Amino acid sequence: MDDLLSLKQAFIEESASVSDLSGLQGLRVKYTGKKGLLTARLKALSAVSPEQRPAYGKVLNEIKEYIEGFLKDREAQLKEGEKDRRLLAERIDITIPGRHTPFGRRHPINIILAEITDIFVSMGFGIADGPEVELDHYNFESLNIPKDHPARDMQDTYYVSDEVVLRTHTSPVQVRVMEQRKPPLRIIAPGKVYRCDADVSHTPMFHQVEGLMVDTAVTFSDLKGILELFVHSFFGKGTPVRFRPSYFPFTEPSAEVDIGCIFCGGKGCRVCKTTGWLEVLGCGMVNPRVFEMAGYDPGAYTGFAFGMGVERMTMLRYSINDIRLFYEDDLRFLGQF
Amino acid sequence: MKISLDWIKEFADLTAPDQEVADRLTMAGLEIEGMEQTHGDTLLEVNVTPNRPDCLSILGVAREAAAAFGLPVRLPDTAIREKLPPSDVAVEILDPGLCGRYTGRLISGVRITATPDWIKRRLESCGIRSLDNNVVDITNYVLLEMGHPLHAFDADRLAGKRIRVGRAGKEMTVRTLDAAERKVPAESLLIWDGGSPVAIAGIMGGEGSSVTSGTVNVFLESAYFEPFSIRRTSKALGLRSESSYRFERGTDIEFLVTALDRASLLIRQTGGGTIHEMVDAYPEKYEPPPVEVTFERINTLLGATLGSGEIVKILGRIGLRIEEKGDRIIVTPPAFRRDIRIAEDVIEEVARLYGYGNIPVRIPRAPLSDGVPNRRLEAVGRAGEAMRKSGFTEVINYSFMNTADLDMLGISANDERRKHIEVKNPLRQEDGHMRTTLLPALVNNLTYNASRGMRDVRLYEIAKVYIDESGRLPREALRLGGILFRENVPALWKEEGDPFFIVKGGLEALCEEFRLKDVSYVPSSEPFLHPGKAADIHVQDRRIGYLGEMGPAVTETLAIKTGKPQIIVFELDLDALFSLMPERCTYEPFPRYPAVDRDIAVIMDESIPAAELIRHMKEHDPSIIETVELFDVYKGKHVPEGKKSLAFRIVYRSRERTLTDTEVEGIHAGLVASVLKKTGGALRAS
Ligand SMILES: [Zn+2]
Repeated sequence: MDDLLSLKQAFIEESASVSDLSGLQGLRVKYTGKKGLLTARLKALSAVSPEQRPAYGKVLNEIKEYIEGFLKDREAQLKEGEKDRRLLAERIDITIPGRHTPFGRRHPINIILAEITDIFVSMGFGIADGPEVELDHYNFESLNIPKDHPARDMQDTYYVSDEVVLRTHTSPVQVRVMEQRKPPLRIIAPGKVYRCDADVSHTPMFHQVEGLMVDTAVTFSDLKGILELFVHSFFGKGTPVRFRPSYFPFTEPSAEVDIGCIFCGGKGCRVCKTTGWLEVLGCGMVNPRVFEMAGYDPGAYTGFAFGMGVERMTMLRYSINDIRLFYEDDLRFLGQF
Repeated sequence: MKISLDWIKEFADLTAPDQEVADRLTMAGLEIEGMEQTHGDTLLEVNVTPNRPDCLSILGVAREAAAAFGLPVRLPDTAIREKLPPSDVAVEILDPGLCGRYTGRLISGVRITATPDWIKRRLESCGIRSLDNNVVDITNYVLLEMGHPLHAFDADRLAGKRIRVGRAGKEMTVRTLDAAERKVPAESLLIWDGGSPVAIAGIMGGEGSSVTSGTVNVFLESAYFEPFSIRRTSKALGLRSESSYRFERGTDIEFLVTALDRASLLIRQTGGGTIHEMVDAYPEKYEPPPVEVTFERINTLLGATLGSGEIVKILGRIGLRIEEKGDRIIVTPPAFRRDIRIAEDVIEEVARLYGYGNIPVRIPRAPLSDGVPNRRLEAVGRAGEAMRKSGFTEVINYSFMNTADLDMLGISANDERRKHIEVKNPLRQEDGHMRTTLLPALVNNLTYNASRGMRDVRLYEIAKVYIDESGRLPREALRLGGILFRENVPALWKEEGDPFFIVKGGLEALCEEFRLKDVSYVPSSEPFLHPGKAADIHVQDRRIGYLGEMGPAVTETLAIKTGKPQIIVFELDLDALFSLMPERCTYEPFPRYPAVDRDIAVIMDESIPAAELIRHMKEHDPSIIETVELFDVYKGKHVPEGKKSLAFRIVYRSRERTLTDTEVEGIHAGLVASVLKKTGGALRAS
């Protein structure tokens, strides 16, 4: 009986130093292998005297269960540890930058153009398009700006021929649309326009968004409503808006829309030339002569038109102080939007 | 226009603070763009719109200010009550179509003296230099004050003591008082004496007839010239003056007498002399056409609810004569308001004086829109997004080009890109044409950025080009162009292979975005591309653009500090691309049976295009060859010079049943044999 207890003792001592799966395997062979110490005892059980056998067998069985249980548990334990070590070895530096092709950026003018367009589309305006190289007729004559009209001085025109110009505004799209469609009309026309002028605040090409709404009873009140809604949507609710009388040959009455200066809060600063106001839009009720020239009955319809410079809106939105940056196409500029 | 507030206050009793005066004027339509304090006076910078020439004077602004504050206007006393000697200068209008009225006064025995300080100060405060000649300075003074241009002749230098107003008749040269020879077109209006021209009407006086320090008898002109005529002559001569600026916008045909008398009196006051009777050639008295408008129309156009009494009162403030007739008014504007011609002009007057701010704000009720989105614009947006996802940043360039760039690119004379239209008056000669290709501008963008140290430049632009097809207007075609330049700088993650394939990958992604079918790349003959790295892009056998490496002829001219810069460019016809995209996509059931993969690697001649081989393999048995994918291109060790190894993975799948291994083996063996036969190549030992 004593030899059984010393066997167990020996196993306990030896197993304490097993630290990996191969050590454990050695232990397993030594005790439970075909020629193992425990196996030998089990085989020798029949040689024990019959009166001692039950007690001896019981102890032997306990030891067997102990050893087998230990080997099983320890194996699981060691396998788990081995997995941990492998994972540890596979570790990467997760702070290294990831791999991707950095996305390109959209030009800020087109970001703002899309934003303006979206606002009007959400109000039910459709989008119209027209040629950039335009007939003098559409750019001027049909907008109530005949050949010798001083309003032609408001815009330095690029001429292709006596009859063909680079459009100086997006307004000709109004007339083209009216010639093709009957009211009610609600359209905007975004696009490039040209004026032969280049200095700190002018580029020979820039972008405008034109708008037109025509129906049987459109009023100046409606014009104020739509544009105020737009300004609040674009510059934020609560932005002060004012409508100030102005002049465009194709609208009557005409107005400029000013917003409270977003840089100084209306107190007066360099950007707003100390007035506290910033001009953002031109607009007015469509001049009946324009309706006549487009083939609409000016007695039956009224409407409003408006136009805005996209460069100006973009400069206000991003605090850009030089319009020429838009056309230098410097990646250090373009990468910021 | 700069204008003195002190001076304005001589005409209207403005008591409000300066800032309020400025604000009221601005909100009534006369925008005050700036204010400046000098010598106890306030100078207003007034922005006068082209429809309001009547505001180009102290009096004009005073009238507006008075209207804004509901004050009366006080005119200076210009009545000449005494009996005057007759004028001995005769006036005749030969061309009443260009000159509606011509008045004048002879002032005899005048002393030409220095100008009194108070006149000088006022001229200078409004930005006009004093000539220290009382007669000339007074004409300018009255011009500023009353807005009517006057001209003073030396009466003794008028041959025959006659003034005739008529066209040049033929192109002729006139020497103006600034000692310049001016070539005057035949249609231009001139002032003639008994023999020759003495002034270009409304623009500038002639040298031979002008007032000098020795002048004794002055003939003062105050006339009305047709705006269009003055404008044409002024443009033709490239000559603008304070006078022409006002005449071409329109002056007051009635009030010009007041201006004449005002100046005559001031001249007599400063230089003595005798004022003679006025000569007045006025063939047809101007009757302003009355304008009719109903009260209802006013309110419906404005969306306001103004009472008739209020409307009449408002219009009375600006001196309109009003006749009430039941539901309407008949308005007769004064002669200085020729801009009021139709009912809407009257409505604008009501609105601006009532205050735009007082008109209610309303969100219109309107029928629903047709709800049809703009597909083209949407497609443009998607194209741009696809390019940005491939790393390209958007640029916007001017629509102009320099034709020398086409020469540099080697574009041939019959190429479509040579069908450009010319701009007659470019700011710079290099910008003289509308562009027919986006490429030159993109190359400029690249050199700009590369020379500022950018080492990875990927740019795209979506814009129109303008092709002259002999129509009235050019065809405006939408293009997508792009450029890539990348220098091999140390990078964490390497992008390997020829940069051509970076761009090609971007364009493939674009084609996938639009679900284009049958896209192929065939060798291109664009003259500016590297002949071995140039592809035309075809979709369903239609060429939609090109892609390739910029050839040395171009890159050598660029200011990029790299030995052999590899620049990849492309340009696509977006109109064509959009027209080729399928209208919609339809769901197709995907295969239920398993696929079997087989790989094949073949060593073959370098010149065999991979795409051709892929097509050949697919055609071998289209019913069960699902895909053929190139997964390796290798040249080098174990591959002989002039050869390459291509490896493909072929996916076999039937739509009807599960393929057996033996079946696939048979077909694959046939495919391999066919590939070897076609390429004359050999299988690469794995
Ligand atoms: Zn401000």
